[in-house]
Amino acid sequence: MKKAVIAALLLVLAGAGIGWGLSAPTRMSAEEAAALTEGDAARGEPVFWAGGCASCHAAKEADGEDLLKLGGGLRLETPFGVFVAPNISPSETDGIGAWSLVDFANAMTHGTSPGGENLYPAFPYTSYARMSAADLGDLFAFLKSLPVVEGKAAAHELGFPFNIRRGLGLWKRLFLDPAPVIAEPLNGAGVDRAVWERGRYLVEGPGHCGECHTPRDFAGGLVLADWLGGAPAPTGEGKIPNITPVEGGFGSWSAADIAYYLESGFTPEYDSVGGEMVHVQENMARLPASDREAIAVYLKAIPPISAGSD
Amino acid sequence: MRIIRNAMTLGLVAGLGFAGAVAQAAADPILTRKAIMSSVGAAAGLGGGMMKGEIAYTPAAGKAAIATMRAASLSFGSFFPAGSDTGDSDAAATIWSDAEGFATELDKYSAATASAAAASGKSGPADLDAFKAAFGPVLGTCKSCHETYRKQN
Repeated sequence: MKKAVIAALLLVLAGAGIGWGLSAPTRMSAEEAAALTEGDAARGEPVFWAGGCASCHAAKEADGEDLLKLGGGLRLETPFGVFVAPNISPSETDGIGAWSLVDFANAMTHGTSPGGENLYPAFPYTSYARMSAADLGDLFAFLKSLPVVEGKAAAHELGFPFNIRRGLGLWKRLFLDPAPVIAEPLNGAGVDRAVWERGRYLVEGPGHCGECHTPRDFAGGLVLADWLGGAPAPTGEGKIPNITPVEGGFGSWSAADIAYYLESGFTPEYDSVGGEMVHVQENMARLPASDREAIAVYLKAIPPISAGSD
Repeated sequence: MRIIRNAMTLGLVAGLGFAGAVAQAAADPILTRKAIMSSVGAAAGLGGGMMKGEIAYTPAAGKAAIATMRAASLSFGSFFPAGSDTGDSDAAATIWSDAEGFATELDKYSAATASAAAASGKSGPADLDAFKAAFGPVLGTCKSCHETYRKQN
């Protein structure tokens, strides 16, 4: 009996030990960190718009120059609780002014803060993990060039167990994977591979389209088998549409329709963009036309998901 | 005399018909506002198609698109009475919880259509460039309202 108790205790301790080990925040390898080089702010600007940073980190009603003041504060009300976007302006005390490029890259690609804490995936590092070292360097240079905003954003409002950051380490082991989601263009014979791959990079990486357009499982991880197949809106009312080339749905949009929508905000039927997509569309409108076309080429050549929301 | 009486009867009938329409609208505001928004979509499709060069521009078509937008901008906001937030509708709850903000967006819309209607004049904007200048700002007001006051779809 005593032996059994001791064995059980040891098992629990071992389990806890393994759990503790598995939940440890990860960081870039030394080689990956060494591959980072100080970037160029001008080249970082389109990366900034592609990444949609301002949509969460600028003030809610921000427009024009105010989109470059990244003091945070936007509240994302989700089933897990309220996430408040932090200050990522170059403030030394309240923002990321004291961060190194490696600190920034670890946050972007590993969801790990400079102090070694796990970041919540409301910050879409699960997508940003696919960004190139060059883009990370350029984006960091651009962010450093923006106006300093003083003042920390409010804390997240999360209940147990979501308020335990350590536990996110396990979540990241399950759901953080920088590999491409779609390996090959569908019916790839007629597809310009380089253009498609550029579109894939933008959609799966900085554009983080899958974070809203792909359904999540009970643990909040993306169901990659239903990639871009539509999902309930993560915040607010309604649903996020299926943007796979499905018959009777988004499949009726031509590549030119998709590129025009991203530029103008109008669907082929001249319905207008709405909801959170308004920010996304306005960000995409700032990219070179070739990038919008690449996104369209990618979206036309991925597996259609018919079981999605729309 | 008979002619006058007949005219009065006609007017009465027309008036009753109008009253009937109002009663029906009040009975089904969701159906009414969706029909209005559908006419907006059709006008945007016509105007946008001409702006993109997919439909040949004529001043009459330009005028039709602008006049439709003008009428919709003045009437649309009247069909969101309390209690019409449930049903087959993409109207977001914010229309009622933030009625002031919704009214501001409607004001932007009707201000844009007022300028467009003034530019349109009696026979419509003379050429495509004049139409673009008049109609572009009207289209520009769609998304700022849809951003907050329509359910995500």
